[in-house]
Amino acid sequence: MNTMASPWQRLRESDLVHYYKRDKVAIAASTIFLILALMALFSPVIAPFDPYDLTQIDLMDSEMPPAWQEGADQRFLLGTDDQGRDLWSTILYGMRVSLLIGICAVLLQAAIGIVIGLVSGYVGGRVDNILMRIADVQLSFSTLMVAIIVLAIVKNAFGGETYSNYAMLILILVIGIAEWPQIARTVRSSVLAEKEKEYVDAAVVMGFGTIRIMFKHILPNCLSPIFVIATVQIANAIITEAALSFLGLGMPVTEPSLGSLISIGKEYLYSGSWWITLIPGLFLVVIVIAINLMGDFLRDVFNPRLYKD
Amino acid sequence: MKNRFLLTTCLVMSSLLAFTTAQAKELKLAYDADPVTLDIHEQLSGGVLQLAHMSFDPLIRWTKELAFEPRLATSYERLNPTTVRFKLRKGVKFHSGNTMTATDFKWTFNRLKESPDFKGIFANFTELNIIDDHTIDLVTSGPYPLVLHTATYIFPLDSEFYSGTDANGNDKGAIVKNGASFASTNLSGTGPFKVTSREQGVKVVFDRFEDYWDKSSPGNVSRIVFTPIKDEQTRVAALLSGGVDFIAPVSPNDFGQIRSSSNAELITMPGTRIITFQLNQERRSEFRDQRVRMAMVHAVNNEAIVQKIMKGFATTAAQFSPEGYLGYNPALKPRYDLKLAKQLMKDAGYEDGFSITMMAPNNRYVNDDKIAQAVAAMLSKINIKVDLQTMPKAQYWPAFDDRAADVMMIGWHSDTEDSANFYEFLAMTPDQSTGMGVYNSGNYSSDYVDTMTVKANAETDSKKRAKMLQDIEAKIFQDAGFIPLHWQNLAWAARKGVNVEPIVNALNFPYLGDLVID
Repeated sequence: MNTMASPWQRLRESDLVHYYKRDKVAIAASTIFLILALMALFSPVIAPFDPYDLTQIDLMDSEMPPAWQEGADQRFLLGTDDQGRDLWSTILYGMRVSLLIGICAVLLQAAIGIVIGLVSGYVGGRVDNILMRIADVQLSFSTLMVAIIVLAIVKNAFGGETYSNYAMLILILVIGIAEWPQIARTVRSSVLAEKEKEYVDAAVVMGFGTIRIMFKHILPNCLSPIFVIATVQIANAIITEAALSFLGLGMPVTEPSLGSLISIGKEYLYSGSWWITLIPGLFLVVIVIAINLMGDFLRDVFNPRLYKD
Repeated sequence: MKNRFLLTTCLVMSSLLAFTTAQAKELKLAYDADPVTLDIHEQLSGGVLQLAHMSFDPLIRWTKELAFEPRLATSYERLNPTTVRFKLRKGVKFHSGNTMTATDFKWTFNRLKESPDFKGIFANFTELNIIDDHTIDLVTSGPYPLVLHTATYIFPLDSEFYSGTDANGNDKGAIVKNGASFASTNLSGTGPFKVTSREQGVKVVFDRFEDYWDKSSPGNVSRIVFTPIKDEQTRVAALLSGGVDFIAPVSPNDFGQIRSSSNAELITMPGTRIITFQLNQERRSEFRDQRVRMAMVHAVNNEAIVQKIMKGFATTAAQFSPEGYLGYNPALKPRYDLKLAKQLMKDAGYEDGFSITMMAPNNRYVNDDKIAQAVAAMLSKINIKVDLQTMPKAQYWPAFDDRAADVMMIGWHSDTEDSANFYEFLAMTPDQSTGMGVYNSGNYSSDYVDTMTVKANAETDSKKRAKMLQDIEAKIFQDAGFIPLHWQNLAWAARKGVNVEPIVNALNFPYLGDLVID
């Protein structure tokens, strides 16, 4: 075999792929996630309606049941909500919002968490103490509570109009900033273990700068736990966004996400229009379970103590 | 062993507790919101008037059949075209222990004349004269057909209780809108229930006033625990699970669920409350163009709102006055026509539309927030982009008083059961000194409406008056002064055994003092 294998070949022969091929749950979860993510990504193409365009919705179409039910309108595959929005289109668009918020919020968390974790673990001493105490304080408030308070203040301070224009950005910022300690602590603990190793000493002896050692030498060796926790955090962020929208603090009413759809449908649940809540709820559950299962798989692979075979 | 003992004690104690509450006839009441203030002259609104009927008594009140029933007045007679004499009930006590006399009426009348919200209703009244301790004369500036209608709004306040200064040196009788004052947090009336404790937005506890004058009232409720539950579905669930005894309003979505329940009953009644949107001409120059307002009226499919959102539990409106009112003009029909609306926008030069802000409450009228969302979607079809904000009424009314958005929702129930009341408050040019147009957030202004309303109020020939009122209605219709939606019906639901049917009325002031619980 050629010793200088291409990156693609290296990946194919890696442990990750080796275990992935043998883990049916992981294959199923990632396939479902991929399908949903692609559907969300291409929602403007797939969706028959644009649910965020108010001119396309007609009140006369409200509360239509899904296509397989009696009294349904064939234009609306999964029925319509209380304002006459096509549920299928709204779910696709809503998933896009959920995934976007989830992924961007985690990227933000990771950016903050990695920098703080690296500095804290590598520099140590007083800096470590201060940073980790800040993380402790932050962790002692639940994310949802922080998010509710911040969003309520922002909404009142800037008014509804500004808020609805920047709702997605604000949600990403709030969820991202509220959850950074999770990643920072993970990174710090890996850094503490890594920095005792010889290659770090070698790098120091060779006269490399601190920043270079931190980011170029230590960080790549800490990546696997970051991947695991980031995957789980995406699922968490999606749930947080859905919860905030459910409480009316997330996306504006004219641009419903999965959480807002569930909240709208709640009022109609007992009067027979179960689909407004149930179908978006199902999508939310599936997407979150798929992501969590993928996270589980990654953890099993990266954790040497949990080798399966 | 010890555990079992504890368990038994708990059981005994809880059954004892259940027994005592059953004896005390407690009513657990859940409306969508609690009164925003205890000062009944601070705000002219359904919620505050409902409070007035719980803790105060009017001179006379409406019966279920919309006739007058004497309360604190024992009798009344018209002395001359401008004076009506009321004989007052003797031996009536206020919650504070003070005895009610004609002085309290005089004091209350003067306060009403100063209240920004109520002075409009009392604009035609010049003075209240004390004849003796238990006789008063109400004097109007000219012949006025609605003296008795208006007398239903005179709930005497305890003048002694509200006089003087509070701990901060402020006048106890001061009316402070949307702020803290002595009167907004303390109360002393003659009504069947006194306020025992109040935590705004959480709970209000009322206890029956032991010295209540009306000994003939069949009411046997000794305590009311009033919990606001904003969410419609939660309110219904609370009733069906037995958590509360009486709820209002009930969303049409939930009718089926209550009707099919064996331990709750639903009471419905056609209502006269009009739901409207006002277009603020002061904030938006576009709205000063009659064609733009007309286009917006034509773009709103209020028939669809009635059918789909209200589930048929409302009447589509094209004017203020519901059928049966003197001012009801049968020629005025709802006018949804999207094509014409687009044409009108084009004619006005706004083919590409513009952006506006809209505000609506989310716990005041039946389905208010959903209606607002639907209207926003309908307006987008004529390229008017709406930024909608909905909020609880405790925040909405201050925002309304500030005219905080370009389009605002308001529902109005005629205080006097007469058409002129709509025009006085919603259509006449706003005027701080007379109190006219205080709820006209659109600043719609028409000389014709202003002068004709005043004239109609001095006209005692009801045929001539009806013609005048209908002409006003037609004028506002032509001007597209506001966006009419519908008259909402009324619905209450109660646990079986709580006999609310006899005490509710089309005015939506349940007379809880007369409520009988089996």
